[in-house]
Amino acid sequence: MTLIYRAIVLFVLLLTVRCQFREKDFWKQATAALVVIPLVLRLLMIK
Amino acid sequence: MKFKGTRFSATLLLLVALVISALAGMDFMGMWADDSFVPAPGFEKKMLSQWHSGLAGTPADTPVYIQSGEETGGTVLILGGTHPTEPASLMTSVLFLERAHVTKGRLIVITQANLLGFTHNSPQEAHPQSISFTTADGGTRTFRFGSRLTNPIYEWPAPDIYIHPASGQQLPGKERGNLNRCYPGVPDGSITEQVAYALTELVRGENVDLAFDLHEASPEYPVVNAIVAHERSMELAAMTVMDLEAAGIAMRLEPSPTNLRGLTHREWGNYTETMPILMETGNPVQGRLRGRTDERLAITGEDKAYMKAAPLGRLYIPYDGDQRMEYRVGRHTAAIMSFLDNLEMAYEEQGVLVENIPTFEEIQEKGVGFFLAPLKKSGL
Repeated sequence: MTLIYRAIVLFVLLLTVRCQFREKDFWKQATAALVVIPLVLRLLMIK
Repeated sequence: MKFKGTRFSATLLLLVALVISALAGMDFMGMWADDSFVPAPGFEKKMLSQWHSGLAGTPADTPVYIQSGEETGGTVLILGGTHPTEPASLMTSVLFLERAHVTKGRLIVITQANLLGFTHNSPQEAHPQSISFTTADGGTRTFRFGSRLTNPIYEWPAPDIYIHPASGQQLPGKERGNLNRCYPGVPDGSITEQVAYALTELVRGENVDLAFDLHEASPEYPVVNAIVAHERSMELAAMTVMDLEAAGIAMRLEPSPTNLRGLTHREWGNYTETMPILMETGNPVQGRLRGRTDERLAITGEDKAYMKAAPLGRLYIPYDGDQRMEYRVGRHTAAIMSFLDNLEMAYEEQGVLVENIPTFEEIQEKGVGFFLAPLKKSGL
């Protein structure tokens, strides 16, 4: 079950990074970077 | 102000996010290291998985310390650390673990009942990661200050509604990570339900006569500076409350509600033969009215907001500007010792006698750290 959960987190993380690179507004890129932090920490099961 | 986003800026921002993730991750992982304890001579260390093998090899498997006296008697359990945000619970159990000399019966001490609650902090509470005490030799003892709930990385997926398996009682989903809502526990349930099951099995398997579950509560919560007793424990609790009142320690006595399920004072009473007792002291660092939240508040209970709330009649404890750790640990300690005296008097065969525990006055005078074992001398 945890592996499925982590796979979903990884999928959302990749989507977020994809959005970040397609975004033309710097501040929206920065917002995506903020979203990346908790996703990375949860993907690694740290927090 | 509008800036154009480019691939370069996206790469830069991603790198910054990864650096912040690494720094935050190291900070969070710092709470995974175990705390050090120095059991008094005579304590034998076991693991909770001995009473439920499903916990073996999991990070929830917490140490259980047992000391037997020379004279035959009963068995008493002191359970600390059910809620890591209630540090007087942890520190009282540590005091007994590091000082107790049992002359009659058996004493079982668990300092960190919900070990997984100590591995993280609650979000948005600004709680400290640890609290420290100065020992008699001038050294420092540091203990983690965790979260009320089990670390969610071990409790996923949290349900929207937590349905207590034994009763069907409905609670918010996150409460499945609250050890004191999961009793009597489920052997193949979530990790917190399994810890609850193991503790219930310990109480049953070891024929525990008297079981303490130590807690703290916010000053504005009605059940504070209180003993909560199951029907079977009520007589002993009444005797203890009178003794404490005579000693100048005011204590409420609350009957365990029969329809509030999942708590030790209800489920240990219903599912085992023990006399369960839950005790609460006043802890401003838990309260909703508190101001600046840091280690100082956790240790001293000094808070300007509570000073304003007290004269407005909003609190259920007398509050003169602080609720110091030595006062809170002193209350728990004095109550436990009074219970042991009354257990010996009322049920002599089930008596458990413990020496070398400081009195309420000694703890007030010298502080909690004075009575903790120095780590240097212990080689830790």
